[in-house]
Amino acid sequence: MALPASLRASAIPAELELIASEHLVEIVPLVAMERTAFISGAYGPLRPPQKCKIPIWMATNLKMKKKCHIVPPQWLNIEYLQERLSRETSHPEFSEMPFRFAEIAKVLLDVASDDFQNPDKIRSLLKDIREARQAKSREGLSQLDHSELSLPNLCAMEINEIRPFFVRAMGVLTQFVKDPEARPPE
Amino acid sequence: MMMDFDWDDPNGGLDEPIAGPSFIERARNAPDDDDDLRLWGGGPDAPNIIPQEVAEETSLQKLTRYWMNERHAPDILPAQETLLGRLLDHIRKQSDDVQLLRADPDASEDEHFRIMLVQTEIERVKFVIRSYMRTRLHKIEKYAKHINMTESLQQRLSKGELEHARTYAKLVDSHFVSSVLQSLPEEQRALDDEVPFMPPMISKPDLKRPVFAHARQACPPVRLPDGSTMEMEKGQISLTPYEVIEQLLFREEVELV
Repeated sequence: MALPASLRASAIPAELELIASEHLVEIVPLVAMERTAFISGAYGPLRPPQKCKIPIWMATNLKMKKKCHIVPPQWLNIEYLQERLSRETSHPEFSEMPFRFAEIAKVLLDVASDDFQNPDKIRSLLKDIREARQAKSREGLSQLDHSELSLPNLCAMEINEIRPFFVRAMGVLTQFVKDPEARPPE
Repeated sequence: MMMDFDWDDPNGGLDEPIAGPSFIERARNAPDDDDDLRLWGGGPDAPNIIPQEVAEETSLQKLTRYWMNERHAPDILPAQETLLGRLLDHIRKQSDDVQLLRADPDASEDEHFRIMLVQTEIERVKFVIRSYMRTRLHKIEKYAKHINMTESLQQRLSKGELEHARTYAKLVDSHFVSSVLQSLPEEQRALDDEVPFMPPMISKPDLKRPVFAHARQACPPVRLPDGSTMEMEKGQISLTPYEVIEQLLFREEVELV
């Protein structure tokens, strides 16, 4: 078939990562490169040690060849995440995070953990935040009805995670209220 | 064109490292790109731009959005032929330039390095285009017969896609006929008869399937299945049946995430 069955219901994390990798990140280049036109835009010139913004996919590519250092985004440090975590655990609603924070954090921590101060602490904070938010998503399920559920500040990866279950559950609720002559979907 | 420099960069000619000149020559002689120059740093007063944050959506960002919409929507969405054409042209140009530069024996290591990055990006874009087309193809094959009976759906398909839907539906039909239907009594051969309490034999997109919609701007009110109305604010994310936000999606006021 044109689309493998595993891809039909939803996007997969690797695809979300691909999308997130178009976001820009600041780097300190270790090689010089002229300004170059790409399909997504023109980037450069790279002039060490001047900082420069390029897409994450390019930064990871350079990083793996040891041609740059990645400057972590403002939200990806211990103080910020600590503050988010305490807000996440003390407030009932989701706190605001960059929409694709999970993907970006993963990519950057995977290839450039040496550019972070204390990457293990960051990882564990991210994990705690994730768990706190997951618990809230599950609570959100109790508010589900057949017509609408608003999910402020939910992020791409979290949506993807709850999608199969929430879509299914809402589908079932929809069938309950459907007029009797309507047929269930195949 | 591939190597499109910021021609107006005042330092452009000064601190040029080794590889510069041949590239600049080529970039200057290259035919003009019909893409929005603002995104290319080519405009006279373009600052050192960061496309994703300052400029409007690039072609690639648009396609990525349509790709995700298509993946999450139960129905087939309107084809984006112009956008696809533009991106394919762009890919062709980038690859042509890469070919040209690779054939150049004087290319320095620095140039090879850039060629590698450009090729990497080409592959990334190709991946998105392929996945987008495959998603559409999957829906077209699944709903081929339904498409053939529905004028409004046909208008959302490109010529090639419509052709494929027709031939595919015909093939499936003749397969059904030769394998089963011809041995049934005449009155039971139709596929579109409605049998009470049985699912229809021609599959249709389930427009009530819930989707996650993300408002790209403030949206006009829409009616929810429970009778109330909802007005999405910019940035709001809602899980709601597809048919509720269908019109908002067509007007690009929401995207599916």
